[in-house]
Amino acid sequence: MKRPDHDPAAPQEADRLPVGSPRTVRSYVRELGRRHHRAFVVLIVVNSVASVASMVGPFLLGDLVNDLASGAEDLPVERTVAVFAAALVVQAVFVRLTRLRGAVLGERMLADLREDFLVRSVALPPSVLERAGTGDLLSRITTDVDRLSNAMREAVPQLSIAVVWTGLLLGALAVTAPPLALASLVAVPILLVGCRWYFKRGPSAYRSEAAGYAAVAAALAETVDAGRSIEAHRLGGQRVALSDRRIGQWVAWERFTLWLRMVLFPVVNATHTVALAAVLTIGGAMVLRGWITVGELTTGTLYIQMLVDPVNMLLRWYDELQVAQVSLARLVGVREVPAGSGDDRVTPAGRTVLADRVRFGYQRDNDVLHGVSLTVRPGTRMALVGPSGAGKSTLGRLLAGIYAPRAGAVTLGGAALSEMPAERVRSHVALVNQEHHVFVGSLRDNLLLARTDAGDAELWAALRAVDAHAWAEAFPEGLDTEVGSGGVALTPAQAQQVALARLVLADPHTLVLDEATSLLDPRAARHLERSLARVLEDRTVVAIAHRLHTAHDADLIAVVEDGRIVELGSHQQLVADGGAYAALWRSWHGDRAERDGGAAERDLDRAEPGGDGLVGRAGALEA
Amino acid sequence: MSLRNLPHADPGVPDTRSGFRFLLWLGRNQVRGQVLAMFWFTLYTGALAGVPALVGLGVQAAVDGSGSRIVVAGCLTLALGAVIAVSDSLGHWAAVTNWITAATRVQQLLARKAAELGSVLTRRVAAGEVVAVSTGDVEKIGWFVEALARFAAAVLACVGLVVALLVFQPVLGLAVAVALPVLTLAVLPLLPPAQRRADDQREKAGRATELAADTVAGLRVLRGIGGEDLFLRRYRDASQEVRAAAVRSARMWSLIAAIQVALPGLFLVGVVWYGVRLASDGRISVGDLVTAYGCIAYLLLPLRMFEEIAMAWTFSRTSATRAARVLSLRRDTEVDVADGVPEVEAFAGGDLVDPTSGLTVPAGSFTAVVCGDPDTAGRLADRLGGHSPDGAGAASPLLGGVALDRVPLETARTAVLVQDKDPVLLSGTLRDLLDVPSSGAVTPQAALAAAECADVLSVLARTLPGPDAGAAAGERDAMGARLTERGRSLSGGQRQRLALARSLVVDPPVLVLDEPTSAVDAHTEARIARGLRTLREGRTTVVFTSSPLLLGLAERVVFVPEGEVVAAGRHQDLLRTHRGYRSVVTRVEDTASDDHTRSPRETA
Repeated sequence: MKRPDHDPAAPQEADRLPVGSPRTVRSYVRELGRRHHRAFVVLIVVNSVASVASMVGPFLLGDLVNDLASGAEDLPVERTVAVFAAALVVQAVFVRLTRLRGAVLGERMLADLREDFLVRSVALPPSVLERAGTGDLLSRITTDVDRLSNAMREAVPQLSIAVVWTGLLLGALAVTAPPLALASLVAVPILLVGCRWYFKRGPSAYRSEAAGYAAVAAALAETVDAGRSIEAHRLGGQRVALSDRRIGQWVAWERFTLWLRMVLFPVVNATHTVALAAVLTIGGAMVLRGWITVGELTTGTLYIQMLVDPVNMLLRWYDELQVAQVSLARLVGVREVPAGSGDDRVTPAGRTVLADRVRFGYQRDNDVLHGVSLTVRPGTRMALVGPSGAGKSTLGRLLAGIYAPRAGAVTLGGAALSEMPAERVRSHVALVNQEHHVFVGSLRDNLLLARTDAGDAELWAALRAVDAHAWAEAFPEGLDTEVGSGGVALTPAQAQQVALARLVLADPHTLVLDEATSLLDPRAARHLERSLARVLEDRTVVAIAHRLHTAHDADLIAVVEDGRIVELGSHQQLVADGGAYAALWRSWHGDRAERDGGAAERDLDRAEPGGDGLVGRAGALEA
Repeated sequence: MSLRNLPHADPGVPDTRSGFRFLLWLGRNQVRGQVLAMFWFTLYTGALAGVPALVGLGVQAAVDGSGSRIVVAGCLTLALGAVIAVSDSLGHWAAVTNWITAATRVQQLLARKAAELGSVLTRRVAAGEVVAVSTGDVEKIGWFVEALARFAAAVLACVGLVVALLVFQPVLGLAVAVALPVLTLAVLPLLPPAQRRADDQREKAGRATELAADTVAGLRVLRGIGGEDLFLRRYRDASQEVRAAAVRSARMWSLIAAIQVALPGLFLVGVVWYGVRLASDGRISVGDLVTAYGCIAYLLLPLRMFEEIAMAWTFSRTSATRAARVLSLRRDTEVDVADGVPEVEAFAGGDLVDPTSGLTVPAGSFTAVVCGDPDTAGRLADRLGGHSPDGAGAASPLLGGVALDRVPLETARTAVLVQDKDPVLLSGTLRDLLDVPSSGAVTPQAALAAAECADVLSVLARTLPGPDAGAAAGERDAMGARLTERGRSLSGGQRQRLALARSLVVDPPVLVLDEPTSAVDAHTEARIARGLRTLREGRTTVVFTSSPLLLGLAERVVFVPEGEVVAAGRHQDLLRTHRGYRSVVTRVEDTASDDHTRSPRETA
């Protein structure tokens, strides 16, 4: 039977982050082993006791059989039974300990593994995160940790148990009747050949099978999530077809692995049967020759039968371990990302942000910025405007020190931003982009991350600065309200306000806002920007603007087009110059452009009741 | 049922009156597979029971010094081994086939139900239930289906063994007959608490995974502003809680394991005691004693299967109940559909009228609607498409005189496409995304161009894997690039433009867009407004917006502040003549020259 063509486990996107080399994996495994050295030894010891205790029964039976066969009159039945019962109690107790210690060891290693990974992840340089995105990391912390869970929780302890158990049984066999141990070896070649064949194909096939099953569930979850769009676009039929296709792909892998087991099962059964038959016949012949006693034959055959369990355990969990190896390599791969290359000696002198003939591109020979020069003096509020794809966001990231320019320099107070450690950069410059993640947890946690020692009064002040106090106060448990998935769902607009409140708390002197209010209702956005402006008095703000009123309110506007700054000046200057910005302003404003700032507009303002804006905003935020 | 024939051509209509009936329905659909699996398992367990007898035979032959009988025992062992190998493999085959067949059927039913429910699923309870059934319950249901045959076989094997023992060794047979139920029942009381602990562990693990995923998803925020330690600590706590819960769970399971060793073991000791006395009295042979020992050890296997079915039953029952509940969900907005379904072409070219709000959209016009607040806009936009889940009670909107609520859902959706405020992009390639049922008049390229997606294409092209994802990638066919779920790898504005392109490709007779460019920058929005108008020339288009750039280009603007039309006309005229309209649309600017809110520096 052929492997199915479609492999659901094949990466759909290139890995953005490295996958650990065998050397990294080995050294990590060694480290884990060292850390849990003691727990491991304890497991081996209790397991050995349990195994040895389990062998007492067949041994005693062998003695009884010997006595019976020799026709002994005075059988020590009571004593034998007492010993048997005692061994049984010991076995039960130590089986319990083995299971428990196995779980303790497995869980400890698993906890280490997932915590280590997160520790490494949160130390990744921001530039790596920006480039790689968080999707790859996310699949590692969810899918790969999940796959490893089984391996760590079960496979590692079970394999240790199985190995010890098998070894002890073979040892006991060798001690009881050495020739029988030799006889049982007849079956080993069958097992080796069969397993070699199976393990070459099994692990990757199981991986694909699991990925295929996950893909079935994922397709359905998406259909559910996108229910409204699917209905509107009449995609129901397509979704059903997709689900059926995914099911077909998964079943193909199930068939394939089932077929692999159709080869493995007979091989394993044959191994057990051949070993038993060999011990029975060869052992029987030896008894006839008087080389071993019939009691030893009895004990030996019972031991051989007992071998079925640990051998099956070995086969069962070896599989899992192989599958886990790939996931482990992905988890430890994060260790191969070079740490941030910050130089601790680079310290800014002053707060002027300067871009000097900056060239930058995400790929070689494909610059996004072509020689941008810009000076942002302390306290300036600057707006970057321009069409999508012009390079505004890229310029913002360079000004926030996330990327280093390919040519030219971006400096803060004369010091190159990209040479400072990330932790220092962010104490001076903060970037807020459209990604306003609300963390699962309390509203307080969501704010505290910006300043971990802030008190409630400061948190409320920050919320007030971003117009968020109204809805936050309406929460039943105030700052302790659980938000994020599973808790109170914040609207995108509220999430954006939380992101800005964090910024207020972190209080860096320079801020880069990349469309930081784009999800708010235009009226609310404007109000927020204004209240924020009051709080951020004399901070330098570079705002990548998406609505023209942001630009209108700024001290300085830079129009970015095609990776260059094509217009630079205040709103009045640019409107007067009659360039691209002026044209846009006119079309946005309709016929009122000429009167901007004029008496007519002011009259109109006066005519509006003052509270109107507040009412409108509250409505928009609750939406 | 062969796996080759899966997925089912038609998963059938399930009996969803209760969980039990649903299980029964599933079982009825694969009776043959169940019988087959039961047959092989019975053969397997029976053959296994023969092994101790052969061992006894061999030992007895050795005691008696009979070489030929030793050879016979050896050969019989090999023969029995062959039976075991075949029945084990084929039984496994049949059981796995059963579970896959059942799981496939449930998954297919779920997919069909989800597609049928569509927008109704946005009510979260239902959505969560569907996903829960798909990710957890299907496996438990499949488990029960699979375990059933094994259980039946184990019962048969045990009955056979007891009968055989009763015939040859009545006392021993009686002892086994009494001991079996006792041994089975002994651990049963421990299973529910053990499972509860396991569930608790799973729940905590899920929570920890969620925290980790959440931390990673927000990592750029953390790295940009700080707080890594706070979140690491939080995750560590959660992770250690999982560990503690897992160990607590292991404590219970290890206790069960110990009982499973101790009780059958003690029974075995008793049997040996009794057997040795029989043997020393010469009432049974030495071989028989060895056989008896082996048989009792063998009993562990059916014992496990009894426990398994008890557990499988407990869990699959709740799972089946939930599955039945989900599969019985219906669109409760279903209204009686009028007789004689009109053709879409026959009415979709007419005016769109909403009696509730008084909104009239002339056929073929490019109309903008301005609402007082986003909620009103969302409800009105949704109602315009007909069959609105929240629209119960309101009068049906009319398109070309036809009540949209009274035509079949499919017809209504074909005539009117309502793009809501938060359209979801489906994962897959860009080509898949734009492969929607359409008139064919608008090419994906034209739609992408009108929605100003050039920069999105180059961003997507960069994600293409392979060696040629280098410098030239921007020029490559981005249509093959993959979008992640909900298009999360793209910015809000980029997502919005792709969603708009998808709606434009459909080229519906009536297109309703709710704030289609709210996250797009002004430069691009101006271009989109022009592209949209050109592309929709002659087709009815309704845009809910408050952006002057879009309003300025609309042929007609309707002002619906509180859900009822109060004014209509051109943007420039309304601005001049209607106070309320001016106040809503220009409220943004009203504060613009307010000296109190303007920063002192700016006015200085």
